[in-house]
This record gives sequence, structure tokens and C-alpha cells, in this order.
Amino acid sequence: MGVVRYEGLPFVARFRWNTGKIMEKFYEKFAEKQIIAARCENCGYTVVPPRMICPKCSSKMDEKNLVNMDGRGVVLSHTVVRKKLDGKGNFIDLNKPEIVAAIKLKGADSQIFVRLGEVEAEELKPGMEVVPVWAEKPEGKPSDLLYFKPG
Amino acid sequence: MRRNVAIIGCGQAKHGRRTDVNQAELVAEAVWAAIEDAGIAPEDIEAYAVGNMQGFGGIAQPDLIFAEYIGAVGKPMQRVATGGTVGGSTAHLGYYEVASGMYDVVLAVSWEKHSDSAEPGATTGLLHVAFANLSYMMKVGMDMRSFAIMGLAGAAAGISAYQAAQYMARSGCRIEHFDMVAAKARRNAAKNKYAHLKWPNCTADDIAKTEMLIWPMRFGHVCPASDGASCVIYASEEAVKRLGVERPVAWVKGVAAYADEEADQGESYQGTAVSDYSDQTGAVISAIKAYERAGIKDPKKEIDMAEIYAPFPHQELMFSERLGFFDDGMAWKAVEEGVTEIDGDFPICPSGGVNATNAIGSSGMQRVVEAALQIMRKAEEHQIPKDVRNAVAHAWGGQVQFNTVMVLGDSPKRR
Repeated sequence: MGVVRYEGLPFVARFRWNTGKIMEKFYEKFAEKQIIAARCENCGYTVVPPRMICPKCSSKMDEKNLVNMDGRGVVLSHTVVRKKLDGKGNFIDLNKPEIVAAIKLKGADSQIFVRLGEVEAEELKPGMEVVPVWAEKPEGKPSDLLYFKPG
Repeated sequence: MRRNVAIIGCGQAKHGRRTDVNQAELVAEAVWAAIEDAGIAPEDIEAYAVGNMQGFGGIAQPDLIFAEYIGAVGKPMQRVATGGTVGGSTAHLGYYEVASGMYDVVLAVSWEKHSDSAEPGATTGLLHVAFANLSYMMKVGMDMRSFAIMGLAGAAAGISAYQAAQYMARSGCRIEHFDMVAAKARRNAAKNKYAHLKWPNCTADDIAKTEMLIWPMRFGHVCPASDGASCVIYASEEAVKRLGVERPVAWVKGVAAYADEEADQGESYQGTAVSDYSDQTGAVISAIKAYERAGIKDPKKEIDMAEIYAPFPHQELMFSERLGFFDDGMAWKAVEEGVTEIDGDFPICPSGGVNATNAIGSSGMQRVVEAALQIMRKAEEHQIPKDVRNAVAHAWGGQVQFNTVMVLGDSPKRR
């Protein structure tokens, strides 16, 4: 039967989340093809993306704690996605499987989850080194970081 | 036998439109302020009670994203969601955990972040909360459009106009008294550094000049949709000694939380037996029980001040009667005489209250924080001049049927 839209209500319910100042900086830096982290002065823990509170020792952090990462990372583990939803409740096969990996950036203590490209699932091994691939004209938003590839 | 429990620290985020922080950072602001105020280490905290109305900030399980921001990793944490009362309910949960003997030191924090809604005010949040109700209405054959016109939009806000009219009919008070209460809220808020709608020297005439929105409510009567977080830290009597807390503390003497059948439209929309929304039997029973537990016999004489959950001015009048501070239908006369001002005989909402600052989840907790600050004499510019031995913190919410009452005092109740 598909989706029934209920019309005539005088309002809609949408959200517009604020990321906070530090996360804003994180995305702004994407325009320069840079990934930044926050390094705690108290315990040395380095977290990507950066935060205002150290997740390890709870020390307060701010813009002074921001450090540049060189972008290189190491694959910790990965999974391969072979199906997607078609929007009508059915699965369809992906022409090319998507690889999603947990990676640890060089100099960071936390991990991030990213797409991997230019690599076959069969070639992937924990410990493989990867580098980011950026959009041709980055604008300082999440979609600037296309994927990571072996390098 | 419940143990004696003290509030040893309070923290608030600056309330208002906080687009400079995300939800986790907002919560952390209040939490770390409270930890600093208590003068304890984060390791001293054994468990966390947290609460908000998740639909309002658009994050379904917010407690999952901020544990690392508030030092809660690896510690017990429980979330509460009871609508407008959530701050009161979360405050009660933290108290239960210490009073029961389960833990010695517990942190309770609650918050809301309205500015993460794309629609103005609380519209997005209220709609998300109402989705379950809306889908139920379709099941019983009600049309959502007609219900929207009836004023559900704002489970509490929509109903408040009916409630105000009913209260006026019962008490004989006039719209001018709502103007006086709202002006007091703005003036008091101007003295509170954490408040949202500040208007120094605001008068009833200033409020009377604002547009009539939905009779009998003017624009100047309506609370803002704020962002904010409030936090308290509880400790058992033994822990107060062990931690060497030397600053003044506020003792929890009695709590009670009752609901009545005044849910808007009744449970499952089959109608409700209560026709007078200003009756609020739940508030009456909560107060009686909380006073009994606190050993208070005459609230008019023994309670020194109150922080009432009143997003709209008629509710401050209505609840101050329901909670036993004034006789029925007499609160507006007390307001005329200045009794409820900061320097009056029975100050109500010296912080400016919910009418001046309403970050839904935070609001109930903020009443507890503000009552505790008055007892600790740490309310700074809005500290009431007279002695504060006993103070009441009230919250109201759900679909208008929940009430929580906490009595705080400057000494633990004698056993």
C-alpha cells in the first residue's frame, strides 16, 4: 500500500542538532583536508573527533587541546555490507559490496568508523595502513571525507 | 527505615538558547559545576540518575552518548522520562538510591535542549512525544486535525488555557493577577545568572501590554523554550561525614509523587472523569504525604519558601494553594500584597521559576537546586533575606497528571 501521508497538520517535527564549537572546528578543518583531534594535557589521551571533556580522565579540554593528525590510520577490524534496503521494505544486492572498518588514526587513542575504498574485502587484514581520500573541492562538511584507502 | 540524605552540591548550565554546545556538553556543564560545588572527586560518585524527554532534543537514548562526558563510565546509570516532571522524578530517583542504602553518593542530572528542534519552541519535541497518542487516536477513529485544533499541540501548554480559565472561575482572580505573577518571574530572573527571560524592573503593566494569544493567556504569560541542565549530588549522612563536607548542605526531609486521573483526554482517549483541570488532586496528595514524611504539620507556618513548577502564571497561584501555602482561592490576594516576592513573607520562585526559564527536563530538577541553594544561602542576588529552614520543590507534568514534591530542610529530620 506504500506510505500514507497525513496532510493538513499545521506543523512538522524536524530536528536541527547543534554539534558544539569543537565539533564545528572538526568539520571546518575538512575544508583543508585535515583531521583534528583533542589531546588531554593531564593524561595524554588523544580522542578523534575532539571533545570538551577527556573521555579517559574527565579533564576539561578546549581549542588549545586541538592537534592535527596526519590522517594515516591502521585497520583494527572490518565488516562487508552486501545488501541494502530499497525503501519499500525489501533487500536488494549491492553491485559492489561496501566495506566499513574500525580504524585507529596514527597518534590517536580512540577509534573511528569509516568506509574503505579502492580495496577488495579479501585483501583486508587487521593492521593494514590506510589514508583518507577527500572530495575534490572540500567545503568543510562531513561529506568531504569520501573514504579511506590502503596507502 | 530510610536513611538521612543531604544535597551536598548543586550545578546548573547557563539556560537560554545554547547553540554553542551539543547535548552532551550541555549536560556536562551542569554535572561538573555540581561536582566542583560539592568539593568531591568524580570517583566518589557511585551511581547516576539521569533524565530528559528524549523526543525534545531529538536524541533517542541520550544517556548512551554522554557517559564519558560526566565521568559515568562503568558506573550504574538509570534514565527517567516523565514529561514535565522528569527533573522532579530524576531528583526523587537519586534520593531513593541513597535513602534506601543502595549507594552513599549519587549524582542526579536532567536537561533539555529545545534549540535542536527545527520548529519554533517545543513544537518538534511535543509532537514526537505525542506520536504514540496520535496513532492511538487514529485507532479509535479520531481525526488528528481536529485534535490539533483542540489544542493538544503542547500536551501541557494547550491544556493550560482551559486550566487558567477554570482557575479564574473558581478563585475569582483576574488576568491582572497573572500579569503580576509573570512580571515577578521576569524581575526575579533578572537577578539569577542562570535564568533565560530576564526583565529588570518588569511591571504588571509591561506584561499587560503584550498580545492576547489564547484567552486568558497573553504572550507575556508564556514561558520560553530554553536549553539547560540542572544537577544535584546526594550523600548519605555517613558519607557527608566521611567526605568531610564542610560547606552547608540541604537535607531531604520528605518526598512524594502522585498522579491523578487528569491526563489530557484521559488514558487512551476515552475521556476523563475530572472536568476541572485546575483541581490537581495529585499535587494535593503529593504535598500531604511529603509533609507527613518530613514531619511538617502546618505548611503555612513551617515552610519558608517554595519553588513551584509553573510554566504559566495561573499555575503558580493554583499550585501554591494545592500545596497548602494559601487557602483555596486566596493566592491572588497574597500576590497583590507582595507576600510571594523575594523579600515577602512567603517567597515563591525567587529564581524566576519555570515561567522565566523552561528547559523541560531541567525545570523539575532546577526547582530542587533552587530550593537547596536558598537553604544553603548560596542563591546570591536572589537569596531571600529571611531565614530558610524548610523549602519545597515541586514539579508537574506527564500529560498534566504527574506531581512531585520534595521538602528540603537545614537539618535532617529527627527520627
